[in-house]
Amino acid sequence: MLSIKNLHASIEDKAILKGLNLEVKPGEVHAIMGPNGSGKSTLASVLAGKDDYEITDGEVLFHGKDLMELAPEERAGEGVFLAFQYPVEIPGVSMTNFMRASVNAVREYRGQEPLTAGQFLKLMKEKQELVKLDGKLTKRSVNEGFSGGEKKRNEIFQMSMLEPSLVLMDETDSGLDIDALRIVSEAVNTLRSEKRSFIVITHYQRLLDYIVPDFVHVLSDGQIVKSGGKELALELEEKGYDWLKEEALA
Amino acid sequence: MDSKTNSFVSQFSAQPLPKTAPALRQAAATQLKEMSLPTTRWEAWKYTSVKPLLEHSFQLAKGGNVTDITPFLIPGLEANVMVFVNGKYSEKLSHVDKDSKLTINSLSSITSDQLSAFEKDFGQLASLDEDIFAAINAAYAEEGVWVSVKKNKAIEKPLHILHLTDVNEASAVQSRNLFVLEAFAEVKVVESFHSLSGQATFRNAVTEWVVGENARCEYVKLQLESQEAMGVDRTEVHQAKDSQVQLFTITLGGAWVRNNLHFHLKGENTSSVLNGLYMLDNKQHVDNHTLVDHFAPNCYSNELYKGILDDESSAAFRGKIHVHQPAQKTNAYQSNRNVLLSNTASINTKPQLEIYADDVKCSHGATTGQMDEDALFYLQARGIPLKQAQQLMVFAFAGETIEKMGMEPVAEYIERLIENRF
Repeated sequence: MLSIKNLHASIEDKAILKGLNLEVKPGEVHAIMGPNGSGKSTLASVLAGKDDYEITDGEVLFHGKDLMELAPEERAGEGVFLAFQYPVEIPGVSMTNFMRASVNAVREYRGQEPLTAGQFLKLMKEKQELVKLDGKLTKRSVNEGFSGGEKKRNEIFQMSMLEPSLVLMDETDSGLDIDALRIVSEAVNTLRSEKRSFIVITHYQRLLDYIVPDFVHVLSDGQIVKSGGKELALELEEKGYDWLKEEALA
Repeated sequence: MDSKTNSFVSQFSAQPLPKTAPALRQAAATQLKEMSLPTTRWEAWKYTSVKPLLEHSFQLAKGGNVTDITPFLIPGLEANVMVFVNGKYSEKLSHVDKDSKLTINSLSSITSDQLSAFEKDFGQLASLDEDIFAAINAAYAEEGVWVSVKKNKAIEKPLHILHLTDVNEASAVQSRNLFVLEAFAEVKVVESFHSLSGQATFRNAVTEWVVGENARCEYVKLQLESQEAMGVDRTEVHQAKDSQVQLFTITLGGAWVRNNLHFHLKGENTSSVLNGLYMLDNKQHVDNHTLVDHFAPNCYSNELYKGILDDESSAAFRGKIHVHQPAQKTNAYQSNRNVLLSNTASINTKPQLEIYADDVKCSHGATTGQMDEDALFYLQARGIPLKQAQQLMVFAFAGETIEKMGMEPVAEYIERLIENRF
């Protein structure tokens, strides 16, 4: 479903991604790990369509379409969902209005009728319960006054509302205590399906205890330098990343 | 009087002085002879040049062919409606309920036995010093609204004053309002300005509010004229003790608009809320000039002006809070916040505090920025198209002002107008 070939991306003439390759099939969970500055978050932003980055080479096909040609909202319509590392606070825009605009925009893109007010509120309630999001949060402005954990859970809530086929989780675990991590992971696990794929970007192996990946990739200096199964994450936790560099040089 | 001023004034002075308040009219006409148009060298006019006013030769608007006012009514607002077409009161298009405790009159229909009541308050607030527009208005403005509300009378139905200009040449219109609320009276007023034609127009409006002890009012000014319309608006509010005033100045239309707003807090324990919202595009220019004079102790004023500027539009804001020596325990706040949607839009903002009392709480501030790019991307990443994302953000920004409005249909009306700008 997602095919990244030789992707090069730079920001302000500084190359960040330097020939990245990745294939993701439906239902797979891929973890991407790597040291700070290796390009993990850049990959997530580039896939979601943040225009700070310039694509200098390579291609990204999503369900056969050239993803890089699409505006961020079109990518969302196609089924790409980015769970932000730092969810943005938007004072004055209520969660309800935001979600209604979002759900109906995505439905319109997918050629579906907009939801009626009743259908929409029912869906909100159902998904809130699914991800255990406190109902009072949806009455506030988007992310305003949310704790770190609530913000991350809100991302997963939005994911469940939009039913994407590809979820990019950008360090969703950073800043979460173990309880919050467990709640977020459980929510993600309930949303795993044969058709939905995940790219889980993380620093820490502990997230992968809860969201068990099919593949683990190590990103270093803008390229995937090693791929393996879930046991690779444990090895990285134990040995750090330096041995990979040595291995690469050898 | 210099020649430019002379030719500008002559567009208004070719007619006889109106019959109401003759002494005041005559004094204004005399004072006018010594006055001149402001220039950008004047501190108060630094960011707004009157040059655009001199590029046209205005005729005093007359006639006008308006038969249907429904497009200009506010949906859901059950109101007394007074309609002025090209500055003239149209009794046919207006509808005002009869009520013995309430006088709602157009100036031209003031009867001789009402004159002394009218003249007692008329022109008492708007000082003419250094304001040639106010002087022109005081001398020559014939028409407008006189509302007088008796003691303890709360008017349920809002009053909607509707100004329509329908002209086929460059035209000038004046209007003049006087609102007098006796003790414990309450009233809600919306005044909206619309153009029916694309001709250049100039409106010179003055409004005075005399708000009695413990009286309350909400006054919404909706400037919705075409982008060929120019205007100067002067509003003076006098508050007696325990009174509460909430005022909105909403500017969506107009090519060139100058608003002068002055609050005189004369009695103790008053509350004054000044809200402004301007949303501009193309080459629109709006200058809001406000002054809140705290003369008495224990008064509260809160001013929030918000601007959204696109294209090559420009705005100026100058707000001054003046706390006089007796006005101890004053709480006065002022804020001007702006969002620029283009690189060519501009804002000049100057909040000012002048405090002579030592036990007060005052604050002022101004911010100007672009629309939050991270927030826009966040909305887009959730499938919301850029234009709609911007609209949500503008709504959120403007919402803080609009949601304070007591008259809900008016708030909804403004929201729809903003929506239509996208």
